[in-house]
Amino acid sequence: MNKKLIVVAMTAMLAASAVFAQGSSESSAKPAASTSTYTFGGSSTVAPIANSAIPVFESLNPGKKISYETLGSSVGIKQLLAGTLSLAGSSRELKQSELDAGCVPTTIALDGLSVAVNSSVAVSNLTMAQLAGIFSGEITNWKEVGGKDAKIQLIVRDETSGTYGSFKEIVIEAAGKEPTTDAIVAKENGEVATKIASTPNSIGYIGMAFGSIVTDAGGKILTVNGIAPNTQNVIDKKYPISRALYVVTMGKPVDGTVEKDFIDFLLSSKGQKIVAESDFIPLN
Amino acid sequence: MVTGLKTGLQKSKRLRTAMESVSRVALLAAALISIAAVVLITLFIVQQGLPMFSKVPASEFFLSTVWTPSASNPHYGIASFIIASFEVTFLAMIFSLPIALSCAIYLSEFAKGKFAGILRSAIELLAGIPSIIYGLFGIALVVPAIRNTLGGNGYSLLSAGIILAIMILPTIINFSEVSIRAVSKDLRMASVAMGATPWQTIYKVVLPSAMSGIVSSVVLGLGRAIGETTAVLLVGGNAPVFAIKPTDMGRTMTMNIITDMSYATGVHMEALFATAMLLFLFILLLNALVVEISRRSRLEN
Repeated sequence: MNKKLIVVAMTAMLAASAVFAQGSSESSAKPAASTSTYTFGGSSTVAPIANSAIPVFESLNPGKKISYETLGSSVGIKQLLAGTLSLAGSSRELKQSELDAGCVPTTIALDGLSVAVNSSVAVSNLTMAQLAGIFSGEITNWKEVGGKDAKIQLIVRDETSGTYGSFKEIVIEAAGKEPTTDAIVAKENGEVATKIASTPNSIGYIGMAFGSIVTDAGGKILTVNGIAPNTQNVIDKKYPISRALYVVTMGKPVDGTVEKDFIDFLLSSKGQKIVAESDFIPLN
Repeated sequence: MVTGLKTGLQKSKRLRTAMESVSRVALLAAALISIAAVVLITLFIVQQGLPMFSKVPASEFFLSTVWTPSASNPHYGIASFIIASFEVTFLAMIFSLPIALSCAIYLSEFAKGKFAGILRSAIELLAGIPSIIYGLFGIALVVPAIRNTLGGNGYSLLSAGIILAIMILPTIINFSEVSIRAVSKDLRMASVAMGATPWQTIYKVVLPSAMSGIVSSVVLGLGRAIGETTAVLLVGGNAPVFAIKPTDMGRTMTMNIITDMSYATGVHMEALFATAMLLFLFILLLNALVVEISRRSRLEN
């Protein structure tokens, strides 16, 4: 019996090792043929788009391996200028000095966030300064911004989401403040919508494309500085919680290079679908 | 003729033994697959999580309450998540245990006929409800109830504990009922013959004899509670802060893993796997405890 057991175990191990060996030889055989590796990097806001787009791009362009390092927009552009990266993601406008040095930005997506409140909130407009005060924890009662006497309940997104990063950068950090941790953290746009709709006196932000799920659930969308969040206002750069996302190259992208192919892919309908799936506004 | 029959019989006998050994091997192979799954999962989690400790000191990881993985100077402290995990599990036990034990005693000692059947299928159904449904139920009913009675915004460790308490009811009820039922009839008869009332019999004779099984059921319930993710995520508030009161928002280890997993890279990702390692260790210890308890009770018998 014991002998039999050993035989069976060994057969199982052999079979398993055969499977593993096949797996590893397959993955190591391909790169040996003709793989070129490219390092892109930069904005953490662009990262979800890049990280979703890269596997699809790689499967369409066998033999090309791309990695995207999350460094932040400024570090990414610095490394692009230093030649460490051949393509950088940026969630901010380029400085004149960077343009002069030869950086060429290509817009790949728009980013806009709607501010939503529970139906019990009497306020219908907030200024950027008020928003910064609310989400940094300095303003804690609705009466401070012209509403009822009630504690403000914050609903924010998880720290690693692009939505959180965008809101933090455009609204809170731009006013020189830090986000408060005294807030309900929701993982998805849908969860934010549900919690805003069901929590009295709550306020939260949501990818602009998802505004309707808040209103469907019974919430309200606020105007910011008197401007309503919609695609047109974002394109016209009127709505304040919005920006464009770029990928940046040194000089105009050249035909036939992987950088140009990747940009073309991002701008194709497939790429723009990835943009929408990553909670950003596609260009068309 | 006779010899032909004999060889035929021998043949079918040989075939039967062959069939038997084949099926035995097949069953063994299936058993080996489950062992392999456990081993592979363990190796995977350790391989992904262990490298973190070369970059983040273990003292910061286990003792700090500062979790800011995407800050320019990131910190990876999970102390508040560990404590929140224990707190919701503890709350769940407090709410669940009295109800579950009473229910188990009722089912094994008193319930009869149609009503017992209904009760049993209700408990089975409770076990089969997906955790997302528990979470939505929590948002719709438990959270507003806490908000209106105890204040705060309702999303709290207490709400998570209440939802968990309902979720672990079937685990504790089923295992406890089985072990209470397993107490031999002679013991009960002897107790009643000595003049004990049915209630005295239950709590002086039956429950102590079933104790090891009941404790095992509680430990299994603990394991289920500490590992639950979706339901607590929806009602716990998920704020990465150190919760002081049960009505405060909090984030458990499982909530932290699921919240950050989608975009995490590098050390951040490793920190999530290290959290998973710790969680895995807790579950392992709880399972070892169950094995130890049942081994001891076997020895006593």
